[in-house]
Amino acid sequence: MSAPSIPLEKTPGWISCPECEAACRDRALPRRAALRCVRCGVQVRKETGARSFQPAWALATAGLLLVALANANPVLTFDVAGNTQSNLMVTGVLGLFDQGYWPVAALVFFAGIAGPALHLAAVWYVAAACCLGRRWPALRRAAKFAEVMESWNLVPVYAVATVVAVVKLDMLGAVAWQQGALWVLALSLCSLLVVQFFDRDLVERCLEELA
Amino acid sequence: MPGGIGVTRNEQDDSRRLQTAQALVIAGLILYVPANVLPVMTMTVVGDVEPLTVLGGVQELYDSGLWPIAGVVFLASIIVPFCKLACLSWLLLMHGSPLWRRQRGALRRIVHIVGSWSMVDVFLLSILAAVGQLGVLSSVQAEPGGLFFAAVLVCTLFASESYNSHMIWRTREGVAA
Ligand SMILES: [Zn+2]
Repeated sequence: MSAPSIPLEKTPGWISCPECEAACRDRALPRRAALRCVRCGVQVRKETGARSFQPAWALATAGLLLVALANANPVLTFDVAGNTQSNLMVTGVLGLFDQGYWPVAALVFFAGIAGPALHLAAVWYVAAACCLGRRWPALRRAAKFAEVMESWNLVPVYAVATVVAVVKLDMLGAVAWQQGALWVLALSLCSLLVVQFFDRDLVERCLEELA
Repeated sequence: MPGGIGVTRNEQDDSRRLQTAQALVIAGLILYVPANVLPVMTMTVVGDVEPLTVLGGVQELYDSGLWPIAGVVFLASIIVPFCKLACLSWLLLMHGSPLWRRQRGALRRIVHIVGSWSMVDVFLLSILAAVGQLGVLSSVQAEPGGLFFAAVLVCTLFASESYNSHMIWRTREGVAA
């Protein structure tokens, strides 16, 4: 393996390693086998066989529905001395905003509400285009965007935070789980699964076919 | 992956990325101190006002006998941010060195994945702050510590975004052999 003076990874038969950008020689692989980078050892390409985008598309559709449900239903209700309050995900954002902590509010809004929605929407767009074989505009950009937003889909972390919050609020008053908590949990699982099925190699190959 | 990889390997872009990451990690290290010293929130329980730092919040959970939850919060909001800053500092100090490249790459991946779990504390603050409006007897008020804590997270998130895995494999000449 030597450093290429001409961009080898642009030549047919060679792939650029996603981790270290080394040019790796592509070869025919048995099913489920992976091509690993000689330099950094990261998986460069995996022979996925006849895997399709349908699971990713289905999960993204379900995920978007769950985003709506998780945001529209209260996650928990809290009761102190006869004052009952139901908490949506957005209630916390507004609470922080009202107390003057808008940067923290913005962070919570972005990572808990906007991030998951945008991530799932980007996955949905790319997966749908690949499933239907449509050359929709800006597919490559959407795929890149999905990859970036993946690390901003922090609903699973939010789900853990709700558990801790319930424990803490229990010290202050009467707290009860509501339907929204179930949707948040379902959304967490859905987000974790979507990442498993939305395979970068598959996306790459599909986009090349469509182009 | 950015377009045009291998065609124009812009060294200026590399040094800008490195400098951004360095500045963010240094800022994160500085902000880490107030984030842990200042109270993150004030909890008022039946007129009893109690300012809580991040560690204080963990202590409170531990005292009430919920040590598994206390452990999770301790890991996510104290150990993880510290380790993330330490690991990022080490990665940046090792920049351009040919040593342990594979291990550094693996470490960067782990840091990137585990790092987001520190958001537990910020989400927790948001859920508790929603109670803030609920009368005089019990309330939760966010405090400046929360702002610093969130700032540390944002710094480390963007630092590990900026110092991406390709950077580990770069030398002054461009790409390592
Ligand atoms: Zn590699």
